[in-house]
Amino acid sequence: MKGKIIVITSGKGGVGKTTATASIGSALALEGNRVLLVDMDIGLRNLDVVMGLENRIVFNIVDIVKGKCKIGQAAIKDRRIDNLFLVPASQSDNKDAITPEEMIRLCEELREEFDFILMDCPAGIEQGFENAVVAADEAVVICAPEVSSIRDADRIIGILFSKSITPKLVVNRIVPEMVERGDMLSHEDVVDVLSIDLIGLVEMDDQVVVSTNMGTPTVLQKNSKAGDAFRRIAMRLNGNEDLPIVVPQVPNRFWKKLGLKIGLGK
Amino acid sequence: MLNGIFRKIIGKGDDSSKDVAKKRLKFALVYDRLDVSDDVLENLQRDIVEVISRYFEIDKDGLSLDIRDSGDLSALVLNTPILSKRRDTS
Ligand SMILES: Nc1ncnc2c1ncn2[C@@H]1O[C@H](COP(=O)(O)OP(=O)(O)O)[C@@H](O)[C@H]1O
Ligand SMILES: [Mg+2]
Repeated sequence: MKGKIIVITSGKGGVGKTTATASIGSALALEGNRVLLVDMDIGLRNLDVVMGLENRIVFNIVDIVKGKCKIGQAAIKDRRIDNLFLVPASQSDNKDAITPEEMIRLCEELREEFDFILMDCPAGIEQGFENAVVAADEAVVICAPEVSSIRDADRIIGILFSKSITPKLVVNRIVPEMVERGDMLSHEDVVDVLSIDLIGLVEMDDQVVVSTNMGTPTVLQKNSKAGDAFRRIAMRLNGNEDLPIVVPQVPNRFWKKLGLKIGLGK
Repeated sequence: MLNGIFRKIIGKGDDSSKDVAKKRLKFALVYDRLDVSDDVLENLQRDIVEVISRYFEIDKDGLSLDIRDSGDLSALVLNTPILSKRRDTS
């Protein structure tokens, strides 16, 4: 059995790559897959803190590639979710500390040991991005419904196509109230502009910040709409391709108001 | 949802900021996707001038090659003053 390498990318920073990698990876592991998360943001690592595993780092990806340690020594095992592992980025090296050839060789090994290998991409289209995509089988492009993010996503999509990868789109940070007002591009608009297939819609959710504060993946959080959305994305990546895509909705105002009146809710 | 429908009924649909965003995006992406360097554009312009010059005498300095947004489409627009028709092409 050979594992699948999926790169999570966006072009622009701050749109949710790291959040998505942590959430989707956790969900895939919860479904029973053996999952490795790889932080490819060398020099600016973050996946470790988002996963709450920063205190357990001994080795990193550059150490593996340079032969200083084995994969098993660098991969931190998550204690909350079975079969979930993280290889952190190096914080002290440059993005070009690893060559694409080294990456291809490493990925061959990783495929033997894991069902899914998720690569958390750095922002930009330089060497770090090249390394993250060089051995990828699939790509998920994260995009916020906002002009600069969509433009950068379009560039990334073009580059992925040129590498014979057909990426899938996640629209993240959707604010349904703003979409309804006409002040935020709807997911239909984004798909129309980028013309690639959608694999999930994630709304802006305070619980993401709470999760990050705690170092707990969103998918372990109860009542997290973003967590639910990421879990469904994981199911689609795991072969459940026909699972319907849920469109984030404005919460029902009547019930919200009533809740406020009788002292429920926030 | 109702808001959106209402906006459409009273014909304000085009004013929303996301419509502006979408138009601007579509336009910007045309340039981005073309991904043509200045070299390529110069060569294209030279070739076009060469072809047109076979039929018309044109003012090469007054020539411009642009990508324009015309509604839903983006068009490659070539503007050139024609000085005269070449005699030998009639
Ligand atoms: N759906 C969401 N709802 C709320 N906050 C989000 C959401 N997705 C991402 N964020 C926040 O946005 C910021 C950037 O996310 P991150 O995953 O680090 O982006 P990237 O890795 O693309 O730079 C973080 O503070 C994260 O908590
Ligand atoms: Mg990141």
